Amino acid sequence: MEEKTGEPLVKLAVLENVLNLCRANSLWPITFGLACCAIEMMAAGASRFDLDRFGAGVFRPSARQSDLMIVAGTISKKMGPAVKRLYEQMPAPKWVIAMGNCAISGGPFNYEGQYAIVPGADLIIPVDVYVPGCPPRPEGLIEGILQLEEKITKRGRLRKYR
Amino acid sequence: MILEKGVEEKTFYLNLGPQHPSTHGVLRIVLEMDGEYIVNSDPVIGYGHRAHEKMGELKTYQQFLPNMGRVDYLHALAYNQCYCMAVEKLLDLKVPERAEYIRVITCVLNRISSHLLWFGAYLMDLGAFTPFLYCFDDREHLLDLLDGLTGSRLTYCFFRFGGVPVDIDADFVAGCRAFVSRLRSRWDDYNNLVTKNVIFINRTRDVGIITRDQCIKYGITGPILRGSGIPYDIRKSEPYSAYPEFDFEIPIGSTGDIYDRYIVRLAEMEQSCRIIEQACNKLPDGPIMAEKVPKRIKPPVGEVYQAVETARGEFGMYIVSQGDVKPYRIKLRTPSFANMSLFPEMAQDNLVADLVANLGSIDVVIPEIDR
Amino acid sequence: MSSQNIIQSLQPILGPDRLSELDYAATGCHLRGEAQPDQMPALAAAMLEQKFYLESPTALDLMESFEVVYHFASFYELCRLVVHVPVAVGVDVPTISQVYPAADWYEREVWEFFGITFSGHPNLKNLILPEDADYHPLLKDFVASS
Repeated sequence: MEEKTGEPLVKLAVLENVLNLCRANSLWPITFGLACCAIEMMAAGASRFDLDRFGAGVFRPSARQSDLMIVAGTISKKMGPAVKRLYEQMPAPKWVIAMGNCAISGGPFNYEGQYAIVPGADLIIPVDVYVPGCPPRPEGLIEGILQLEEKITKRGRLRKYR
Repeated sequence: MILEKGVEEKTFYLNLGPQHPSTHGVLRIVLEMDGEYIVNSDPVIGYGHRAHEKMGELKTYQQFLPNMGRVDYLHALAYNQCYCMAVEKLLDLKVPERAEYIRVITCVLNRISSHLLWFGAYLMDLGAFTPFLYCFDDREHLLDLLDGLTGSRLTYCFFRFGGVPVDIDADFVAGCRAFVSRLRSRWDDYNNLVTKNVIFINRTRDVGIITRDQCIKYGITGPILRGSGIPYDIRKSEPYSAYPEFDFEIPIGSTGDIYDRYIVRLAEMEQSCRIIEQACNKLPDGPIMAEKVPKRIKPPVGEVYQAVETARGEFGMYIVSQGDVKPYRIKLRTPSFANMSLFPEMAQDNLVADLVANLGSIDVVIPEIDR
Repeated sequence: MSSQNIIQSLQPILGPDRLSELDYAATGCHLRGEAQPDQMPALAAAMLEQKFYLESPTALDLMESFEVVYHFASFYELCRLVVHVPVAVGVDVPTISQVYPAADWYEREVWEFFGITFSGHPNLKNLILPEDADYHPLLKDFVASS
């Protein structure tokens, strides 16, 4: 059949698109606040900036039950191995949002002579979306999650309004 | 036949954190357990260490200002105030009265937001999700006010040496009054939902008792100290800034259990509302910055110790200056460091189910412990 | 008056001319004391008897030597005491953690940031830095390698 029409026997692309849509619309973040940005992450999940309307409001404490890690805060050298281990514990497919300047590049603590921090989450785990700010507003985090949805589905939600 | 061999009992080790929903940050506690009882506990801190004190020696006085908002991000304005007051002492600068009032109003608003967040997060730890949403809603109205004035929602860097950079206008004062009346209308909701809730009372009454003797030996300050019955508040016993002009009470508890600490924090929010009302009524006119603030901050040789009352307790800064543009040594005496060192004694011989209630009632912010 | 009580109870321990009054408005403290390392446990016991609490032990790196600085304050009356203890390099300071349990963590912090050893401390190991860190970051000649 493949030789006759040039098309695969079983069309999995449509199934993959549907699965990606499901994954993007119900991202389950892990409760992983490290420092100040954690408070803005909590505010994004709370009443005014409700993350639940995007499907991403179910924060799971266990890494085994989540598929999104929002690194919110500075990663200290002591915490680095724990971040890596948590990332490895998450089942695939998984994504990472680096929230805040500290998770992107060390932020205000990155200077000549710093001995205590890892300057950026992407030095230890692969990052999909970077949300800058110190701390970023909850709307910024929501925009980061919407960008991640666009990355997952290649279509994005509310695209005609943005 | 199996039972004839006898039963051997051993303790086992349980690791709490550093990633855990109820540790309020990256804290790790290694527990030695005998069944459900805790035999020993060892908090392992340092997962949030960002080297503030070393940065203090490598940066100039002005460059260190943003750090103060990140030490304790929930009551950042009090830390800003302590640092500014310490350097103003070294430089012998006099802050104008209007600036002191603005500092007090913003600092007290920040204190209310810190207590509201504690309230919501603590009850979420205990399993109640509704107060979290109510508190964050109230907190957002407060943050709108502070955001319009300072530009930040969380990690403020609003005070400068000699005063404040931006003046408040009539809109801000009206917003403060509206917020205070809105918050006061919430007390009934919170009391009916939480304070009189039988599950909450059973989980917090006579649990986690801290005695006055322990407070002195461990240097505990803040709502924990006042919950144990000692009426020590630096705003009253060592008055600074514009606090002597206001009439407010220090709520204290009697037994020192978790319920008393909760009542103290709730009452402090009401007292904070009183301070804001009085400050808005009495706000004087005048300049908001001192007259001769040097462009290069180069204090003379000397050392200073400045303490302020924050939402968590007494924050002290010890600055040693050798006459340079950079401080020689900055030591941050943070309240959560002292309060956390009491935790092993408090958790001993208690149930692990009470551990989270105890830990939440101390109200620690981990970056403040690790600095 | 608290200051007078403190001076009276500390003078037998420290010796004459070791306590001076400070300008509170300029420095934030009322009294300043100079002590030798081995006088610290007795001083701490005397302060606990006066119901003072230990605010924040810390250290200064003065290049050729160290100085351990203790602050004391009281819940009942406004009186702040700062005690400076000059310590030469390599000299131990006796621990005061048997008097003030709060000092347990503070002395561990001073040890890991400055390298000053506290003799008699039950658990002198790293508190904030990683367990295997062997550097003392707050020394003036410390340079971060990475």
